[in-house]
Amino acid sequence: MIEESDELIVRAARALSGMPPTKAGAVARVLMAVRANQARPLPFWKRAMRRFDETSVSAKAAGLLMAASLVIGFFARGTVGNARDSFAGGSELSGPALQSIANMPAESRPVPVAVAVELANAKTVAVVGDFNGWDPSVTPMQRVGKDGPWSATVLAKPGRHTYAFMVDGATLVADPRAPRAKSSDFDGDASVMMVRTP
Amino acid sequence: MSNFIRWTARLLGVAAIASAPQFVGAQEARLLAIRDDATRDFVRQFVEAARVRGTPTEPLVSRALEGVAFKADRKRIEQAMAALEKRLRRSRDLLGAKATADEVAAGADALAADVPAGMIQEMKKLAPQRQITVELGVLTELVAKGISPKVAAERIKELMARGATGAQLTELNAAVQQDVALGIKPVAALELRGRGVMSLLPPPASVNSAQRR
Repeated sequence: MIEESDELIVRAARALSGMPPTKAGAVARVLMAVRANQARPLPFWKRAMRRFDETSVSAKAAGLLMAASLVIGFFARGTVGNARDSFAGGSELSGPALQSIANMPAESRPVPVAVAVELANAKTVAVVGDFNGWDPSVTPMQRVGKDGPWSATVLAKPGRHTYAFMVDGATLVADPRAPRAKSSDFDGDASVMMVRTP
Repeated sequence: MSNFIRWTARLLGVAAIASAPQFVGAQEARLLAIRDDATRDFVRQFVEAARVRGTPTEPLVSRALEGVAFKADRKRIEQAMAALEKRLRRSRDLLGAKATADEVAAGADALAADVPAGMIQEMKKLAPQRQITVELGVLTELVAKGISPKVAAERIKELMARGATGAQLTELNAAVQQDVALGIKPVAALELRGRGVMSLLPPPASVNSAQRR
């Protein structure tokens, strides 16, 4: 198939013609080393990798798909994995999460609740409460305009919820416009939100 | 190209194996927010023991995480969880085995607000086929405003018996809240607003016939 007149072939042949002749002893040593290497059993991880490489394309594709779904599931677990976690506002809800919410009975179906607070000197504000596991990373609040109030929307089930605002990642502040939660369990102020049935 | 696919597959496989423990329990993953190892171990064991006893675990995890948010020490978190678990078990006994976790948690909050156990049981008897999470929440809030638990529970029961919905009771609570902020006494506000809601409800005869249907 390859024509000898091909310029590349001619150049390669010219370059190889200048190489020294091979020694028979050296060739034997190389062959013995290769044979010894073949006789030694491969470690487990190398065998597993080799077996993976030998599998058919469809099996590989299935494995890849499974691994990819696990990885995607891992990163999306906050929105899909746990229904209760996914009710926190501020995070995008995926189709399955929305479907699971839609299938719930009205009396336990989470509803969006807007929260806002005026904290002029705050650099960051997040709403934390029993609806988002008191986790400040779940529902960060956005400032309305340059110096306006902070606002966010949370998804909470109908009923009574306690919450507070995490200011600059360190201080918890109660909502001045909501009733205080009467709790002697911990020092600090929390507020109460009553969520009505949709 | 095939090398690229091969190595991508290997990387994905390793990532999948590394992430597998996360699927064991989202609740477990949330406990990682508790930085102190001893506290986290205590919470994990406590929650597991509660699960074995059939107590709803979500309110316990939430209370522990609330303690972390409020920078409470381990002893405080332990005390809060132990007290809550006791109330949750009592609440479950009062509301029955079919009560949902949210309902049981709402009952536990009502108990914490000193609502008599018998009142919670009577409220559930008025609505045995549905959740009374909102009703219990409103009751807890009315008591928190300074209304005696007995008076508040009687009023809520009366409204429930006439067919008041959870939404109507939530509005009642909001209206009482506004009145109290304007300086009206909580009991007077409840009386006034309670009558307002009652006027919107169907007469007792039609409620009874509707229930029979």
